[in-house]
Amino acid sequence: MTRPSLRCVLLSVVVLAISHTVLAQKIAVVADKLYTITSEAQGQPGVILIENGKITAVHMGSNVPAGYTVMHAVYVTPGLIDAKTTAGISGAYNIPADQDQDEQSEPNTADVRALDSFNPREMLLEYINTYGITTIQAAPGITNPIAGQAGIFKTVGPKTVGPTVDQLAVKPVSAIVFNLGESPKEFYGKKDKAPTTRMMTAAIIREGLLNAQAYQKKWADWNASEKKDPTKQPSRDLKLEAISLALRGDVPAIFNAYRADDIDTAIRLAQEFKLKLILSSVTEGYLETQVIKQSGAAALVGPTLQRLESIETSNASLEDAAILAQAGIPVALMTGFENYVPKNRVLLFEAGVAAGNGLGFEGALRASTIDAAKILGIADRVGSLEAGKDADVVLYDGDPFEYTSHVTAVVVNGKLSYQRE
Amino acid sequence: MLAVSIVLQPLTLNAQEAALNAATGTPRIARPSDQVLVVRGAKIYPISGPPIENGVVIVRAGKIEAVGAAGSITAPTDARVIDATGKVLMPGIVDTHSHIGIIGNPPVAANVDANEGSGPVQPQLRAIDAINPSAAGVRIANAGGITTANIMPGSGNVIGGQTAYVKLRGQTIEEMLIPGTIGGMKMANGENPKHYGRRDQAPMTRMEVAALARREYTKAQEYKRKWDDYNKAVAAGSKDAKAPERDLGLEALVQVLDGKRIVQHHTHRADDIMTVVRIADEFHYRVVIHHGSEAYLVAEELAKRHIPVTLTIVDSPGGKLEAMNVNEHAAAILEKAGVKVAINTDDDINSSRFILREAALAVRGGMSEQGALRALTINGAEMLDLGDRVGTLEKGKDADFVILSGPPFGVYTKVLETWIEGEKVFDRRNPADLRYATGGYDVAGRYPKFDAATVGGAQ
Repeated sequence: MTRPSLRCVLLSVVVLAISHTVLAQKIAVVADKLYTITSEAQGQPGVILIENGKITAVHMGSNVPAGYTVMHAVYVTPGLIDAKTTAGISGAYNIPADQDQDEQSEPNTADVRALDSFNPREMLLEYINTYGITTIQAAPGITNPIAGQAGIFKTVGPKTVGPTVDQLAVKPVSAIVFNLGESPKEFYGKKDKAPTTRMMTAAIIREGLLNAQAYQKKWADWNASEKKDPTKQPSRDLKLEAISLALRGDVPAIFNAYRADDIDTAIRLAQEFKLKLILSSVTEGYLETQVIKQSGAAALVGPTLQRLESIETSNASLEDAAILAQAGIPVALMTGFENYVPKNRVLLFEAGVAAGNGLGFEGALRASTIDAAKILGIADRVGSLEAGKDADVVLYDGDPFEYTSHVTAVVVNGKLSYQRE
Repeated sequence: MLAVSIVLQPLTLNAQEAALNAATGTPRIARPSDQVLVVRGAKIYPISGPPIENGVVIVRAGKIEAVGAAGSITAPTDARVIDATGKVLMPGIVDTHSHIGIIGNPPVAANVDANEGSGPVQPQLRAIDAINPSAAGVRIANAGGITTANIMPGSGNVIGGQTAYVKLRGQTIEEMLIPGTIGGMKMANGENPKHYGRRDQAPMTRMEVAALARREYTKAQEYKRKWDDYNKAVAAGSKDAKAPERDLGLEALVQVLDGKRIVQHHTHRADDIMTVVRIADEFHYRVVIHHGSEAYLVAEELAKRHIPVTLTIVDSPGGKLEAMNVNEHAAAILEKAGVKVAINTDDDINSSRFILREAALAVRGGMSEQGALRALTINGAEMLDLGDRVGTLEKGKDADFVILSGPPFGVYTKVLETWIEGEKVFDRRNPADLRYATGGYDVAGRYPKFDAATVGGAQ
């Protein structure tokens, strides 16, 4: 029973895992209560057939064709999605050696990519995988007004064998992250550098976006010129290229905002530059439902357990997700960033809090699966159990959101990543 | 468990205790109503015995007069009756480790008084001099079902100061303090007190953290001897005996040596825990292990010595190196080894609203439900020497209880009402109270009116 650490457990199962991944190419997951999310019948007995990493078929009942390794569970859901976290780029030790989420050298670091900090072997990833989180959007931290590029990755579990970052990436660059509110001005303000006010935070963001517009025009003009004179070719600027991704709508712009007026600022900037807006944290979002709804923005809410540790979270509400969803705003759940103990929140627990505070079982399940996938633009691969999608499946011995239930097994890309001993 | 007190205490200790008693003896709150209160219909977890379906609790003058199955006890006809049919009733939760009020809301420098950073040895400090009873955190804790708390200084110092055993009610700390209690002594080892090293000050190693503690308790032993000698001389009729000089810090440590104050010790790593044990053995003082992230690795050692552990159950490992081996199974392993386990919030590490959830996670990790309920109630009470007053629903104990909408560890279960000594301190039906259950600390201002039924607010 004594389990010294996840790492030791990992070492002891490597041999087993290798043999398992080779053998278990064809898996049938048999559920007493199957939640595919997208089909009509939910919570009925059903079977998921998996081959070569993909779901090949879903059917009701319990019949399994020959040739499959069978896994049974009381509840089965799609792999859960943490819509925004720093896990993987912020490590559990919480010492400079493993903290790579916040490039605090200047307020505009649009050219940095989570991809280049992401450590697939970070124990926190392994940890959250054992709670059914199979896909995460890893995003730069909350310090910089223009913080950089988020990426979407699969997680690895104790039984997963050695994938690289690039193999795990679902979207190497999934969004450009902007931060409003206290964090940027408090960090740089202490160093007597800009921004020291919310005004300046917004100004830095506008300047970045304007420069990127000009940059795009420069390139467009050159590309449109007849001669394409190499001596007149504009020089590349990686920051402006990154911001251009958001300007062109290739990726969404995630604005982290807590206070209602910061949410308004995000909407104001997004409208000026016609960005595809995703709000994150959205602490006072429940005070602004009509404004958010009209803006068309989606909301990554959470963590619902967030510590009431600053003035801008003073109006946090456990019912935030429920109220936003009720207003018709697309809502996904996220665990965000933690800077101390515990180093990471667990999306499964956050979803439980949301479920118990107005979002309900199905609402919380959707917000941590298909709705998250749609908001993040990855619904073609994950978020529901349908033929053709990635075989990311979570098995439970009871209601997933009950704290006393257990995740009994996790499958990522058709391979067993975790099995409860 | 109290050590036999010596014949004559140093006068100064008596003076201090007298001062405390003067402060706590006449609470400036309304006396508990004389009208008898009856709560009936709930499934009752008395903790002292098996659950009672369709139970009845009778409360008189703030105390429990009777607990039993409907029909087995009779209530006076003029009693105020509360119908809790279909609900669950358990003792008020005892949080053995909290910083509410001493880390205020918002927790900005102006409101944070947990760690006196001027030096690592601060036994003379009293939490009561820094707790703000008006802090929203106190009401938020009520919303979590917490009725009794040990509010402590932080873990930045080797000896952090005197903790306060309080009920979560009242407008002044005097109203909150549990009469007759003097609190515990906060101590810490491991990473946190080493922060002085960053300023080139002691302690910068675990060795010095331990040495500082041993030095202070050695001084306290000598201080106690001096006072003992003086008191003996006075008792023998000596006219020229000279009273030793008072030392407020050493006085408080003598109370530890005398068993009147339990050391409430922040410690995580297994070797740090054993250092705590080693020093407690050397000075024969009573100690409770707090956090105890790796206590499960030395469960047998703790069980053998009857040293209890109060766990802070967090979502994930890490955040600091000494918390890397946080393990979902810790509570279960300790329970199985026979260690007395409590569960605390360490608010604001965990929100006081989620203490039931912490216990549920312990159950997820293999702890028995009964053990987890004890960990929230009587076990914690005993770690504060309050086991005869709170922690179970038994005749003669304080009428502190919580009414829940469903099973204690259910994710959809809500704390509906919290009662302290027969007075209701939280009612989820009251919109102002509901905000403490669902909102932030600045809940009064802008929180809009919701349709409670549609957002799941009411129950």
